[in-house]
Amino acid sequence: MLYRVIDADELPALVEAFMRDYEVIAPVRSGRSFAFEAVSSFDEIVLDYPTTLTSLKKYLLPPRETLFEYDMEDGVTDYELRVQPRVLFGAHACDINAMNNLDLVFEDARYPDPYYEAHRAATMVVGIGCTPDDSCFCHLLDSGEVRSGYDLFLVDIGGRYLVSIGSVKAADILEGACSPREATDADRRAFREYTRARQQAFNPDIPSVQEIPMLMDAFHSDAFWEELGSRCLNCTACASVCPTCYCFDIRDVLDPSGETGRRERVWDACTSPQFALVTGGHNFRAGTRERVRHRMYHKLNGFNSKHGRYLCVGCGRCVHACKTDISPIKVLEFFEQKGAEDAE
Amino acid sequence: MAETRNIPRVVVVGLASCFGCQINITNIEAHLMEVLGQIDMRYWQLTSSDSMPEEFDVAVVEGAATTEEAMQTLRRVRERASAVITIGACAATAGIPGMAAPDWEPRVADVYGAQVPAIVGDIACAPRAVSEVIEVDYAVPCCPIDPHDFVRVLQKALYGGNEYDRTSTMCGECKRNERGCFYGRQTLCLGMVTKQGCGARCPNLGRPCNGCAGLSPDANLAAARIVAERSGVGAQRLDEALEMFNQESLRSA
Repeated sequence: MLYRVIDADELPALVEAFMRDYEVIAPVRSGRSFAFEAVSSFDEIVLDYPTTLTSLKKYLLPPRETLFEYDMEDGVTDYELRVQPRVLFGAHACDINAMNNLDLVFEDARYPDPYYEAHRAATMVVGIGCTPDDSCFCHLLDSGEVRSGYDLFLVDIGGRYLVSIGSVKAADILEGACSPREATDADRRAFREYTRARQQAFNPDIPSVQEIPMLMDAFHSDAFWEELGSRCLNCTACASVCPTCYCFDIRDVLDPSGETGRRERVWDACTSPQFALVTGGHNFRAGTRERVRHRMYHKLNGFNSKHGRYLCVGCGRCVHACKTDISPIKVLEFFEQKGAEDAE
Repeated sequence: MAETRNIPRVVVVGLASCFGCQINITNIEAHLMEVLGQIDMRYWQLTSSDSMPEEFDVAVVEGAATTEEAMQTLRRVRERASAVITIGACAATAGIPGMAAPDWEPRVADVYGAQVPAIVGDIACAPRAVSEVIEVDYAVPCCPIDPHDFVRVLQKALYGGNEYDRTSTMCGECKRNERGCFYGRQTLCLGMVTKQGCGARCPNLGRPCNGCAGLSPDANLAAARIVAERSGVGAQRLDEALEMFNQESLRSA
């Protein structure tokens, strides 16, 4: 990996350079929180945002996407991919790891998803270093750092940025817009100060637990899941804000004329009551206990079996979105408590 | 082409309601003729003084059932129609008329005295949702309906479709709109127990959900009351707010 340093006052020029050829998506203030939105000037961007309400997945897997259009007489009439070239500017490590996880699913060599691939190929990612807030636990799920999946990664080292360069395309834009220089010993020390401060900023009350996937299997039938599930509002807010919930449903939508229509892909959620309902009327996960447990299993166990990584990246968005306190943190706390009980 | 097709005969019936949902059907404006072109509109109570015909295929019903005449109409509708579609909250949940359901008999006596005037009709029971009287095939929710939802449901009745009815509640849709939560601002919102489908339209305009899409059959009222209590809104206020559109569901819950 190549590293360079730019001054903080060069950042607007970098963003403006991206804006010439791309739609730039960046964190902006939204009510009392923050959201990723298209920006038209550098001044709108809030670089030191804690987290956003929803994630960047909406740009790779839109909440509602037309797969093709059809005519009731002539069949499929149009399946052109509509892709907007974008720069996702200001992504945290957890969110870049989340997109890398989505790649494992949608860019699987056996079943590549052409729509996702087209969005991903047209998207550049510029990451930025962060300071964790109270509900961040990326470091406990191997997502606190990111080594691939970005074009540039910026770390504020006091009046200047250490830039990790991940692609030639981005290096060219950086070179054209700024005057990147080699890092000095002072820059390297400042970077280490940043990593040290960040390490110490994580909430120590969120327990670090080893062997989470095995514990998930070991405690599969524990009464804990009944209690956790009993609180579920069936609202699916968790899946809407999650950067790695990628399940979708497909439906056909007729135009009012009844003559033409569109096949759409829309977000779905395994916490939705009908998610595991099959033809014939059987629902494989008819209760909240089963649904909530399933979601946590996929995040902390199932994805590991197939891809060797946690699907959950510890971004903490569901911690804020769930009004009844259902989140992976509760699962970690449950395991922590189990150990303590046994020790007594 | 159109002549050779077996064009479905449709009737639109209005029971106890403000008739706003029937009116709202016309708000598809640009598409109204396209939609009417797909059906044989035999009867539309709002637009004609004629009586309902004997033969039809699809019945669209607005409003709650309150009188013996309404019950008979519904039973007749069910016997003849291959598909019954309710439109609006009054038909789906008893809606606004349903607010009067608790202590119904004393209320009737308060308003009409000992003798209910003939013009009111033969009051059969407290206001009921259409589904409490007959089997309903499709429902277009909300107060008032979104006319595009109506067209979508009508087409599902006419041609079938592969979209299933979701019972998850509204916060998931609300989050997709990048909206923070009213409960963080100690403000009552019924989205967490109300059936999704409208796209969390009111919260997206900055107004809390008032529950017009109806309580989800999978609403977790016990958990919702704890949320309301803990956020400072109060569980009682949540329960009271639900009475506007959900008397029926609350009684059977």
